[in-house]
Amino acid sequence: MTNVPRALLAIDAGSATTSVALLGKPWKRWRLLGSLAAPAGAPIDELAATVAARLISTDPRMAVELSISAESIGDLPRLKAVSKPPQTLAVLGASRRAVGLLESVAARTPWRIRTASPETHDPREMTELALRPEVSAVLVGAGDPPGPDERGWLDDLAGLVGAATRRRPDLRVVLAGPVAARPAWAEGAGRPFDGSQERIIEGPPLGLRVGPDEPLREILEGLLPATDSRHTSVRALLSLADTLDRTIELIDIGLDGGLRAMASPGIAEQGPAAIAVRTAQAALVPGEVDDDGVDAVLAWTTGSLDRHRMGDRLMDLRVAPWADVSGEGARLRLAATRAALARLDAQSPDIAAMPSPDVTIVSGGAFSVAPARAVALAVADTIRRPGTTQLASDHARVLGPIGTIDDPDERRALVADLADDLLAPIGSLVVVANVPTGRRSATRIGRITLEGDVQGRHDLVSGEVAFIDLAPGDRALATLEFRDAVRVGHRARRVAVPVSGGVAGLAVDMRDVPLRLPERRDRRRAALAAWGELAWPGDER
Amino acid sequence: MASPTRATVADAPGIELVARRRLLLSPIDAFFRLHPGDHALVKEGEAVGRGQPVLEHFREPRTLVVQGASGEGNQLLPGDRAAPLGSRGRDGQHLDGELLFRSGGRWRIAGGERPEPLESPVAGVVHEVRPGAGVTIRSTANAVVGQTALAGPSWGKLQVATGADGELRAQHVDVGMAGSIIVAGARMDAEALTRARAVGIRGIVVAALGIKEQRDFLASERRGRAAVHGLPPFGILVLDGASRRPIASPLMALFEAIEGGMVAIVGDPPALVIDDPSVLLPVPPSDLVRVRSGPLAGAEGAWAGLAGPRRFPAGVTLEAAFVRFGGRPPVAIPLGDLERFA
Repeated sequence: MTNVPRALLAIDAGSATTSVALLGKPWKRWRLLGSLAAPAGAPIDELAATVAARLISTDPRMAVELSISAESIGDLPRLKAVSKPPQTLAVLGASRRAVGLLESVAARTPWRIRTASPETHDPREMTELALRPEVSAVLVGAGDPPGPDERGWLDDLAGLVGAATRRRPDLRVVLAGPVAARPAWAEGAGRPFDGSQERIIEGPPLGLRVGPDEPLREILEGLLPATDSRHTSVRALLSLADTLDRTIELIDIGLDGGLRAMASPGIAEQGPAAIAVRTAQAALVPGEVDDDGVDAVLAWTTGSLDRHRMGDRLMDLRVAPWADVSGEGARLRLAATRAALARLDAQSPDIAAMPSPDVTIVSGGAFSVAPARAVALAVADTIRRPGTTQLASDHARVLGPIGTIDDPDERRALVADLADDLLAPIGSLVVVANVPTGRRSATRIGRITLEGDVQGRHDLVSGEVAFIDLAPGDRALATLEFRDAVRVGHRARRVAVPVSGGVAGLAVDMRDVPLRLPERRDRRRAALAAWGELAWPGDER
Repeated sequence: MASPTRATVADAPGIELVARRRLLLSPIDAFFRLHPGDHALVKEGEAVGRGQPVLEHFREPRTLVVQGASGEGNQLLPGDRAAPLGSRGRDGQHLDGELLFRSGGRWRIAGGERPEPLESPVAGVVHEVRPGAGVTIRSTANAVVGQTALAGPSWGKLQVATGADGELRAQHVDVGMAGSIIVAGARMDAEALTRARAVGIRGIVVAALGIKEQRDFLASERRGRAAVHGLPPFGILVLDGASRRPIASPLMALFEAIEGGMVAIVGDPPALVIDDPSVLLPVPPSDLVRVRSGPLAGAEGAWAGLAGPRRFPAGVTLEAAFVRFGGRPPVAIPLGDLERFA
């Protein structure tokens, strides 16, 4: 007899949906036995019971072997990651410039941001912002020494934030600069700052120029719960990169925010490493649907919705993100996903500048139900990094729950067992840059040959995306030959890259890097529609 | 006794996976925002009646800078009142605002001109008063929770003006509805909203309100509030979202049951508070499900069990459930497109 569990539940309770995966160890290794997602708030026991019932009906012997029954399912051990709506951070500075610098750092965190400075807001309005019940922390910053534009207001700002700390004992404050050293801080807070209050944290002062923002980001992220699935999934990603010995990028778009992380395997004595950007700005639908948000989605649509009707659809998507997933709703969702991916890409230039990873994992409700080719195209549209990557999906949403395991060895062992199951292969994506533009459309610029492909060679056409069938599990060496030198990782006329198959096959993207869509609305829609025809089943709208 | 087609939750396995929509909330904590400078007129634990002023805010808020006492022994704290209500300085300006902070020996005070009371739309007990943040009143009444509330708070007698799928047009809004809160069906346009306010209607309950109508109404609201005489109370409660859809039958049955009774619209949480606790409120069948989106949006039927993963238009595979509409054979609907009531 052993106390080591032979089955467990991996639960990802997101803002939009709750997913339950049943993991079991029928023989020597852990396997994914089934998963199910339902709208947020659905009882986890009920979800687990439904998954268990499906296992019992399809493989009763395994269910008996693992002692899984409808009655015992609730007693299984659980790995649970929870995503909660973003908390609000008030960003205050003594000048508009200072607020802009702080905002650029805070935007790369999961906080929802509200900004104010004396140049744009009255002290009464700034106090109101700091006292709002939904504001749970204040980030206030200044240069050291303060810039000429800050000196006139810095005392008032210190007094204002100090007074807010006195009025709201629950308010957490991050001081990015010598704000608390001002005499007005003691006047407002009622006591000089001595570092004894845990809720008031000192951070690095504002720099004159943009510099590394990790120290301040770490402080801001440290104020948030560490059980968030976008936090824990990075830990699982580290284990996965180390297990597979591959560089892996994780892209997660959720209702309330997005995550982009790049993990590399450990080398020699060094363990695996990852950099990650979590941002509320990459939410599938921003908390407040404004014109910019609507336009960003409209730019990716081919339909005839006007701005108001699109705003209505986005508001409904925000209210019930699990609903209207089929038909036109699926296209709208992926248009919103593209807009969110573009925001995520803009907030993660450090990751965007890295070489193409071996594997790119997409995760989150935005990708979970769309056709594989549509997902591949959405990633190709927005993450314009020349090179080759294998696309896969965290279809059962187990990365977040696995990341809740604190022991890295235990986590790595589970990931090693599950690696084949937890990633559903979408296919391979090859993005070719510096493609010579033909004078006419549909100019053949090269060809691709798959080793062992009975179909022979495929022509490559400038400005287009080609999907080539390559079944899941298949591997091949793709040789791309061009008339002129192009860039696929490096610059050459002939490139050979290993590719692997998936539901979407192999996608070769010969469009501009970065993607330049036509300015004229009708032409842009025509281009999007032409690419969309490749990705969406023809008559199934 | 349940009819054969109207089973209990226990007899409808899988229905718990459908998004649950709570019909009634009780008790309800109605929150009223206090901006810096606003003055709470009630204290914690105090009982308030409907129509009783609970706070006073300035229609023309401003920040004053006054020389403040400094040094130890000064008892004034941020959040305190700067001076007794109605105090004025030598130049005639109000000094009875709220102390914001002191810097360089001078206090910043949130004050203003033209104070205006806000009356409680519900009866209850003051649960919490946080200067500069808000007043919370706890009411034991039942409340129908909506999606969004605009303007408000407000109260009046409930009047059902259209059917669940109807649309109240401007020409159908007349003064006979003045003083009432109107159930306006599936959707309402900005012109009808403006007219409703103009004829003295106190509030609107509607299934959906588009983003354009919301913006138009809020812009009109701001202009009206800035005018000399201000505006009478008026609130809009949006039950579902932005795209047109009928009011769900369980909600409509509730509104019909309480029609003629006093109700109130509160903004936080967005809800319609039912004043009369003695009204017998209808309870929907436990197996009733409603299609909230997709081609069958608005349709209601009986739960007929889980259907497992199914392929739907656009090539997506989704968890589905069977729903029986009337006497017809069950139809597979994506699980996410359904909602149930409890």
